[in-house]
Amino acid sequence: MSRTWLDNAFWETPKKQILNAISEEVNGNKTKRQVHQLNKINEDGTENEIFNEVVAFLGEDKIDESSKKRHEKKQSEAELEKQKKLEHERSRKLEQLFEYKLETFEIVEIKESKNRLLKSKLRRSKSIPEVNLYAMMIVKETLEDENTK
Amino acid sequence: MKTQSKGFVVVASKNQNFYTYAINLIESVKDYYPEAQVTLVTEEHFLDGREDIADTVLFCDGHYRAKLTGMSMTPYDITMYIDADMECEHEDIAKVWDEMGDYDLVFHELTEERGKYYAIREFNVDGKKEAYTLCGGVCLYRSENPLVKEFMEDWDELYRRQYANAWRPEGFDKDVWDNDLKHFDQTTLWWLTHRVEKYKDLKIGFFADDIRWNYFTQYGYLGINSKEGKPPILRHYSGCLKKDVPIV
Repeated sequence: MSRTWLDNAFWETPKKQILNAISEEVNGNKTKRQVHQLNKINEDGTENEIFNEVVAFLGEDKIDESSKKRHEKKQSEAELEKQKKLEHERSRKLEQLFEYKLETFEIVEIKESKNRLLKSKLRRSKSIPEVNLYAMMIVKETLEDENTK
Repeated sequence: MKTQSKGFVVVASKNQNFYTYAINLIESVKDYYPEAQVTLVTEEHFLDGREDIADTVLFCDGHYRAKLTGMSMTPYDITMYIDADMECEHEDIAKVWDEMGDYDLVFHELTEERGKYYAIREFNVDGKKEAYTLCGGVCLYRSENPLVKEFMEDWDELYRRQYANAWRPEGFDKDVWDNDLKHFDQTTLWWLTHRVEKYKDLKIGFFADDIRWNYFTQYGYLGINSKEGKPPILRHYSGCLKKDVPIV
């Protein structure tokens, strides 16, 4: 029975002091795999023999390469997750904005206004302050109309 | 040759909020497509003057799925039905008629990925797994075809019987039927399109890039977007509105 190491081992730290690796031992029909987190230096200050075994088996360049790949994959996953969260937040805000607009359209002066242009601007508003701005313009117009009558 | 009339149908029944949603929807359609012909089907006691935005106003009863009655009442040869709790936000709304093609009915597709936000998508009939695939939030249909008109009338009538426990087909799990399927007009739609012989030749399809025509706000939660990378034409606020709570 001999121990080999999968080629996806990676450095846990930039200074290469901790190595994450998976060993594989084949015994007849059985294959045993085990995850190892290996410190380069043992607590007593001596070199970790298993750590050295992995580096010797795979080669430092190979570990550098898989570490880089893993880092890039993690970064891309994190970016995707960030985008998803932003998208989620954007959708939630859009829902709140829609409800706010519906409430605004129920203000009597706006409800009864025939100014399609301003009402359309209000409906297309992208934020609550923008909604408020167009709502004020519609109300102001109605009040001015009332004053001139 | 007679020119086909084309128009939108929006239905508001049962709850005053739906009237407010419907007015907002109609105004938004006209914001982007001023020539659009729109029929509002609603209850007479909801009217408050804002219905003037619609080109035609028809009356329905107070059933909470009177949308089906409204769909069958369309005065147009080609009809685009839109759920009232949606809003138009793109000028491509004017291109909706191009989607009719050779179809009789065109829907938004209910896929597995999108199904997360639906109450139920899969169910068993006679021990076999079935699924809703047609979402009734929007529907473009050839109402000039007598068979399509009959389909809409049957959908309405059968759904009302289903909801009132007067019609219940064999083969469905009792609990699932009672808890999830009975209340849904989607169930009736599934039945009519899968089990009723006279409708088997209806040509039923999906909008090209269909997500744009019925973009549920929750799709944004999952980052599901148009396959052509284009913005929504009709956004559906179904999942977030407090429909039974007065708006003000």
